[in-house]
Amino acid sequence: MSSTRTFDAIVIGGGLNGLAAAGVLARAGQSVCLLERAPHLGGMAAPDASGAPRMAHLLYNLSPTVRRDLGLGTRDWPFETVALPTVALSEDGRHVITQGATVRLADGSAHPDAAAFAALFERLTTYAALLRPLAETAPPGGAAPRLSPDRIKEIWRLGRMGLGLRRLGKPEMRRFLQILLSNAYDLILDELPDGPLAGLLAADAVRGAAAGPRAPGTVFGLLYRMGHGGGASLPRGGMAAVINAFAGAAGRAGAVIETGRGAARILTDQDRVTGVITDTGETLHTARVLSSSGARITAEMTGLAHFDIESTRRLRHIRARGTVAKINLTLDALPAIPGLPDELLAARMVIAPSASYVEDAFNPSKYREMSPNPVIEALLPGQTDPAQRGARGHALSLIVSYAPVDLAGGWDDAARDTLLRTTLKTLTRYAPGLPQLVTGAEVIPPDRIEAETGAPGGHWHHAEMSLDQLLTLRPAIGMGRYAMGPSGLYLCGASAHPGGDLMGLAGRNAALAALRGAP
Amino acid sequence: MRSQSSFDAIIIGAGHNGLTAAAYLARAGRQVLVVEKNDWIGGAAVSRSLHPGWTYSNCSYVCSLLRREIVRDLDLPKYGLQVIPYEGGASFTPDGDYFAYYSDHHALHREMARHSPRDADAYPRYAQMILRQCRFIRPFLLRDAPDPASLRPRDLGEMAHIVRQAHGLGRKELAETLRFWTMSIGDLLDEHFESDLIKAHLAGSGIIGTGLGVYSPGTAYVLLHHYMGDIDGGIGAWGFARGGMGAISNALGAAFAAAGGTVRTGAGVAQILVKEGRVTGVALEDGTEYHAPVVASNMDVKRTFLNHVDRAALPEEFTRAVERFKIRGSSAKLNIALDRLPAFPAAPAHASFLRGDLHVSQSLWELERAYDDWKSGRWSARPYIDMLIPSQIDPTMAPPGSHMMTVFVQYAPYDLAANGQRSGQNWTDTARQALAETVLDQIAIACPDIRERIQHMEVRSPLELETEVGLTEGNIFQGELTFDQLFFNRPVPGYPGYGSPIGGLYLCGSSAHPGGGVMAAPGANAARAILRREWPRAPRKGYAA
Repeated sequence: MSSTRTFDAIVIGGGLNGLAAAGVLARAGQSVCLLERAPHLGGMAAPDASGAPRMAHLLYNLSPTVRRDLGLGTRDWPFETVALPTVALSEDGRHVITQGATVRLADGSAHPDAAAFAALFERLTTYAALLRPLAETAPPGGAAPRLSPDRIKEIWRLGRMGLGLRRLGKPEMRRFLQILLSNAYDLILDELPDGPLAGLLAADAVRGAAAGPRAPGTVFGLLYRMGHGGGASLPRGGMAAVINAFAGAAGRAGAVIETGRGAARILTDQDRVTGVITDTGETLHTARVLSSSGARITAEMTGLAHFDIESTRRLRHIRARGTVAKINLTLDALPAIPGLPDELLAARMVIAPSASYVEDAFNPSKYREMSPNPVIEALLPGQTDPAQRGARGHALSLIVSYAPVDLAGGWDDAARDTLLRTTLKTLTRYAPGLPQLVTGAEVIPPDRIEAETGAPGGHWHHAEMSLDQLLTLRPAIGMGRYAMGPSGLYLCGASAHPGGDLMGLAGRNAALAALRGAP
Repeated sequence: MRSQSSFDAIIIGAGHNGLTAAAYLARAGRQVLVVEKNDWIGGAAVSRSLHPGWTYSNCSYVCSLLRREIVRDLDLPKYGLQVIPYEGGASFTPDGDYFAYYSDHHALHREMARHSPRDADAYPRYAQMILRQCRFIRPFLLRDAPDPASLRPRDLGEMAHIVRQAHGLGRKELAETLRFWTMSIGDLLDEHFESDLIKAHLAGSGIIGTGLGVYSPGTAYVLLHHYMGDIDGGIGAWGFARGGMGAISNALGAAFAAAGGTVRTGAGVAQILVKEGRVTGVALEDGTEYHAPVVASNMDVKRTFLNHVDRAALPEEFTRAVERFKIRGSSAKLNIALDRLPAFPAAPAHASFLRGDLHVSQSLWELERAYDDWKSGRWSARPYIDMLIPSQIDPTMAPPGSHMMTVFVQYAPYDLAANGQRSGQNWTDTARQALAETVLDQIAIACPDIRERIQHMEVRSPLELETEVGLTEGNIFQGELTFDQLFFNRPVPGYPGYGSPIGGLYLCGSSAHPGGGVMAAPGANAARAILRREWPRAPRKGYAA
């Protein structure tokens, strides 16, 4: 193609955040081009060819605000989601079933800690709701002048949060300020005895993180998960439905979406963005580029010479160490899990029999080893939505922690095989005979996630969600409000505030920042 | 001496904080009694002679954080306190090399360059950052922490002060500060340095006394907690109290006595007496009762409220918060009488760094693994050790030609695992001896002849620290130094001002803000809070701060 095209903005990456950014910009009347390197959209949310989930398999946090801003209100929402119960599996067959704040045992009897769990759950969801407004805007601390409308709005928002905090009443406000920076392990075990229920909460607090539940700050991970009520839901039609809805919204508003074409370089002139060269060699002109790649990759595409030395130092130090592998199994029959009624095979099933089990699973990953007893989140999506059953048999989608990206010796065939065997051995303790049902297996360690999606380190959030990499500090000081490096360059992926988890807010917030054109 | 039974104030526990609070109150004209369960004063800042001729700093062993304002206010040098700085330290390797830390900038640069020229160049940047953080935090140590949920003018004023100070840092430096406070010492060091040995050497201060690993978020702050002291204005410098750490307590005790105060040793408190929501005094284990409208406890918050106050006298919510307070034993101590100076074959003869803190940890991973052992209820297979031979600088600690060695050991759990059970009672003599052997193996990396030099050795597990000193689980800070237990959250949310739900009952130990480390700040701050609340019209004599 020889003709040069010019856009108001170019979005790099067609994951959920990239699509959200393109949609918000296009709906604001901007001409937008979105480039996706892979032949399909969706990034980590993209399903496999049969429609079964490949990497992400559930929604936790999809933001209603993003939905609203994309014009996907309740009426137009093109698919329904099914709220799933969660089963915390127990080797003795006394599985624990939770849905929202309620908890019971799989045999239908009451759970002895139901009241304590409900109280803890209510408290955490209240706190999470209080923090949610923080995620729906750029983090506080902009350089706007003191009496600018932006600054006044920010003060107003923070003031309202402060008021919300006060409304909790003194004891709860104090408790909030105490546990916010605390570790999940202590918080959970202060209220519950260690067992599957505590293990489930601990696992949810650190899922996707390079941290164990004893690490200070992990309560924040739990609150993040609970931002929209703490439930896991399965979209009918799979993640494809979500991606199509987002892409449709962007497309209807006029965004040009091109797959199979990635960005090779971001062009600048006089410290301003001027365009993008695609990996097919085409030059696209624009004054604004929003990248949903990782911060460091984005900077490298632009040329590190355009960043000051302090920024390059900070970019180098962003921690993004993926610790989660994905394993997709095909079973020729449904597994039998003693003690679990058949209808609950549709639930989100979690193997984390205690909080200390989760911590023990984390330990080896620090030394670049995989967990001999991993934490597993298992899902049989076909049980809820036949469209996601997979081509043959039953798809069993597994999220396996911890399997560090920098495994000693590397992720060769033998390592992937070891991970598969360890995982099957762990599953067998709860579902005897499961290995005999397996007719197909695909192991996707973090290095493959990185290779396929570009996520730095194969990390779900593109950058560790630890306290020192949140809010204004995310992904690094000086880049916390989406703009980075040369003027016109923005981050719109999970490495930007507020992070990933199929939320869409990073993309939406970045688009709003780009529209304002202000850092 | 007339046997007086009524006082203006009673302090429970003659640790350095209790004595500090007592001295300030006495100097403000109050009649103060200090009751101490042991037959000696000092708590964990104590010097004892367990082997003829040798003096041990049995628990705490070096000094830096003791606030100089307090030293000045209470005239401690006049009562015999002399702190002698030591310079440098070293980490030894099994292959006969070492990394030496010098306080002299040029010597340090040369030594670092020997291991990594890049690290030598990175160090000034690192040191400046630490110093900036110290400068920011030091002024807060002698101020009260406000209750953010309170609308009282005092709390609002303190909050405004914090906001002003934070604002004054500027946007970028504030971001740096927030990042520093929330990150791990391991990540911080990985950002600056490449040499494993240098990183391991610098990491120690980030974990000493805590139940955290070098890669646990928040340990960079713990490092600060060990760097924010000074000796005669030399910020970050550490030293020995001449005569051992007991010299601090003895000087405080003498200052207290000079102000007219009374100390009763061998007087363990059984119960804190409460009547109609106000404290009325204490009942000793022998049945003696002393009465006072004000009681300040130098014991930790758990011991004070869970063991010595009637539960019915406290709001349930408060008691629950105290039960949730984390106070975990993570360290042990070896005190060793040596017949002569052990040989350090790797070091040049008479090297100045041998008079400082010596270590044998090789990498951050080794330290992290030591933490993992602790989490599982074992003492570390390769523990972190911080060992010093103070008798090289302070000849009063050992007979001529002989030496005294103090070895701090981390990690050692309080609730040791044995036969599937985790309990402090598993610290049997056999267990302590096995721990000592593990530690001696570590020491032997630096001085292979250590075992031949030993004349006498005291092994203190977390259990001994608890039973003798009274520190719950043997935690040296009277409570973990984590975000959820610092500043206005210390000891429990809603009570940052040294008070309690019981009128007249205060805390003056390290469970309170700003925490432990032989700072004496909790004691001084508590006394100030007590005077303000109980005797608002009394003259505030003797407060420099």
